[in-house]
Amino acid sequence: MTIPIIQVQDVNKEYGKGKKTVAALKDINIEIQKGEFIAVVGPSGCGKSTLLHVMSGLEAPTSGRALLDGVDVTLISERDLPKVRAQKIGFVFQAFLLIEDLTAYENIEAVLWPNNELKKEKLEAMSFEVLREVDMLERKDHFPRQLSGGEQQRIAIARALVNKPPILFCDEPTGNLDSKTGETVMKSIARIAKEREMTVVLVTHNEELTKYAKKVIHMKDGAIT
Amino acid sequence: MNKRILFKSFRLAFRAKKRVFAFIIIYAVLYILVGKTVEGPNIWESIPYLFMAGIVATVYAVLISQFRRRDIAILKCVSWANSEIILLLIGEVVIVATSAFLLVFQASVEIIGIVGYFGTNAVLDGIHDLIVIRSDAMFVTLFFIIVLQLPGLVLAQWRATRIPPMRALREE
Repeated sequence: MTIPIIQVQDVNKEYGKGKKTVAALKDINIEIQKGEFIAVVGPSGCGKSTLLHVMSGLEAPTSGRALLDGVDVTLISERDLPKVRAQKIGFVFQAFLLIEDLTAYENIEAVLWPNNELKKEKLEAMSFEVLREVDMLERKDHFPRQLSGGEQQRIAIARALVNKPPILFCDEPTGNLDSKTGETVMKSIARIAKEREMTVVLVTHNEELTKYAKKVIHMKDGAIT
Repeated sequence: MNKRILFKSFRLAFRAKKRVFAFIIIYAVLYILVGKTVEGPNIWESIPYLFMAGIVATVYAVLISQFRRRDIAILKCVSWANSEIILLLIGEVVIVATSAFLLVFQASVEIIGIVGYFGTNAVLDGIHDLIVIRSDAMFVTLFFIIVLQLPGLVLAQWRATRIPPMRALREE
């Protein structure tokens, strides 16, 4: 049996202290196999985004472990986490999170700038490849403020893919888009994930988007239901 | 050192045009004030201006880390390490200080050239005395300004390393 690419073991996450403690995640256990497309669905505030942040090492759990490709991200130092993120994870966020002072192309390429071993030609080739994949080649020199929401999200997807990570975390990727644009963005994610045999964890409150997923995890009040 | 990030930071700095040009002018004025006292008979007179320059340099470095906090958080989300973020901030500070130096240097050379070409008169002498800094004083001032960047950069570095990647998500 193969080792799951993502393992979440007995994870609890609490915010606040004393009487004001809020349990965001309660005894979560999940195993996701390589190449799977998983949707985590639940109402707003149920802890699904927190789960994604814990899985990806963006937030530390109060207790429990989160393993990516066998690496326990809860044990990795702040210094080494960027390396793990660079090698294993791509993020797509609801708010796109593009850098306003960089062009669409530079936003994508910026992920590769820290890699000293990459030659300029290789770096450009990798960036253009993902730009082509999301069909944004013609808009590459535009700044985020000059792009529509859907275009910004496609650039964010390209940025998430440029490092060729095996795992893609999507946190409400269509949350800021109209339904038609959201559908286009989701189709892009699903197509690219299939082509690249990527593992996708999609967090959403929109039940409609579960049609893209192989497995659906429902959450309520910080627990899996 | 990642030269690519350093050079990209220069370009990034000039994308925030208003802030960068405002600080280049402020730095240039400080270069002139410090330079004039450095080339004067009593170098100790430059201490108040060096103090002012230190404050401006520190404020600028802290301002950059403040203005760039969203960008810093995003870059951390997409796998940048603290050392790379710091290089980005250093680049922005260095390019402004260097640009101001080159501006004053160029202005000095141009004014000397104009005075040499047209000869002296009251207006040109006034401009010459106001702006032109002797070459030895110019480079001593550059050294002082570089040293004065350091406290601000340390502070900016400290602030930048404390920004968690989650900040980018919470601010949206």
